[in-house]
Amino acid sequence: MLEPVMFTGGLYKHDLVIELVEDLGGYVLQKNVTQSEVILLILIPSEDKPVLESKIKELRGELVRAPLAGTEVAVVTPTLAIHHLPHTACDIAEYLRRHGSKTNMIGLARGVGQEIAQINEYETSLINEHDAAVFIFGNFKECIRRKEGLYRNISVPVVVTGGPEIPKAEMPYAFEYVSSIGRVAHRARKATEIGMLDRIVEAVGRALDKTRAEMAKDPLTTSAPRVMDAVREQVPDVEFSYSPLPIALNLNGLRVKLPYDSYKDAVMAVAFDEGVKLGEIATVRPSRMKDYIIVRILPASETGFVF
Amino acid sequence: MDPMEVFKIEVAGQEDFGKKKYRELIMDILQDLGLIRSIGRLYVYIDVMEPIFAVFGLLRSGIPPLTVKDVGDVMKVEGGYQIKINDEEHMADLLRVLWDRYGRERVEQPVRDVVIIASDTDPAGLMVADLEAEFLQDLTDGLVRVAPEGFRNRRNEMTKDSFLFIAAEETLTPELIAKTKEKIREMENA
Repeated sequence: MLEPVMFTGGLYKHDLVIELVEDLGGYVLQKNVTQSEVILLILIPSEDKPVLESKIKELRGELVRAPLAGTEVAVVTPTLAIHHLPHTACDIAEYLRRHGSKTNMIGLARGVGQEIAQINEYETSLINEHDAAVFIFGNFKECIRRKEGLYRNISVPVVVTGGPEIPKAEMPYAFEYVSSIGRVAHRARKATEIGMLDRIVEAVGRALDKTRAEMAKDPLTTSAPRVMDAVREQVPDVEFSYSPLPIALNLNGLRVKLPYDSYKDAVMAVAFDEGVKLGEIATVRPSRMKDYIIVRILPASETGFVF
Repeated sequence: MDPMEVFKIEVAGQEDFGKKKYRELIMDILQDLGLIRSIGRLYVYIDVMEPIFAVFGLLRSGIPPLTVKDVGDVMKVEGGYQIKINDEEHMADLLRVLWDRYGRERVEQPVRDVVIIASDTDPAGLMVADLEAEFLQDLTDGLVRVAPEGFRNRRNEMTKDSFLFIAAEETLTPELIAKTKEKIREMENA
């Protein structure tokens, strides 16, 4: 069982952490260097965690659990106007990031209003490429209820946030509803506001657990971090992608940030030690995000084997 | 404590949370834009079912226009006047006004915060900026920010000492406007 953790520490000797993780059979998902500090998102076999902990103690770094590591969460606002941004949306997105998730902020084109709120096919399928979505709504019960149409057709679990208390039974299409946020014009700084951010993270965590539990019934042919490692090794151009995170992990696959037309064959040809190619155990399609490549690993029921 | 004399907010239906939050929201936005001191009374009426959003406010006494002596110290020097700038925020406006009045060749700026004018006419009383017009612009911007974003049909009636802002999702009919005004009047008289 791989455990998601986050390492924060000095840049000096952080290679030792990366080497140790690789030796232990773990994966480094993301590396962020900010001046003399480095933040690493790591998946580590849980039985080997004490080894990593002692190494990090030696380096005077910090290791915390990052329950959302290796997932991609969409934070959706009705539009990108000043009414919805920056405070709530950025606070939520940033808080999710601190817990390890890769967070994308999406502003709908016409998500505002009661009667006129709408979402189009492109937006829906873009959100569906994530592992979970957080929809940020406002302060009025009636408005939140009427905006149900925005997330009714989303197939990933949707956590809805808003101001007033609304019984869950009144929102059948939401995975969970987190109240007492809504539209605010200041940053979250009070303890109650931070507590509310914690509740959102917990709700997203539960949503991802539900997806994981569903996937466990029919496991993927191979794990997404393993595919990521293989792609990174065999398609070296990915390291030259201008994106801060050239390969974004999902629960059931990954997004390779290279142009689809030029690199799809290279990605499909990625080979594993067991003698299979990525094209045989996964679907490789154009992503709805820019012209990236999206890889979805097939479950064991379709390929007939797990490795 | 509210810096305004009166700040009433009324929300139709079972929307107590929204009422409380919109109070905070309006204060936050007006404070951000530095408008709160110029508003004396504020009445807000929201009906989510209609849906309509209305703000009526009474303004405090007018803001005098900004003159040259407000932005700097004016001194008589040999061959003209010297202005030592204290408030650089309106520098661009000041230079434009001086150029218009005296011509570019008579206005000299040897250092960043000093302007020398080669003229015998005292520039102290010249108007640099019309702060009231700026305030009304900021106020409109603030009101658009306060109103829920989906309410895109807006009407803004501004007079010298008051403003009425109505926003709705549907077309603003004369009946709707009259009804809203009636509501606001009731709030004022309550």
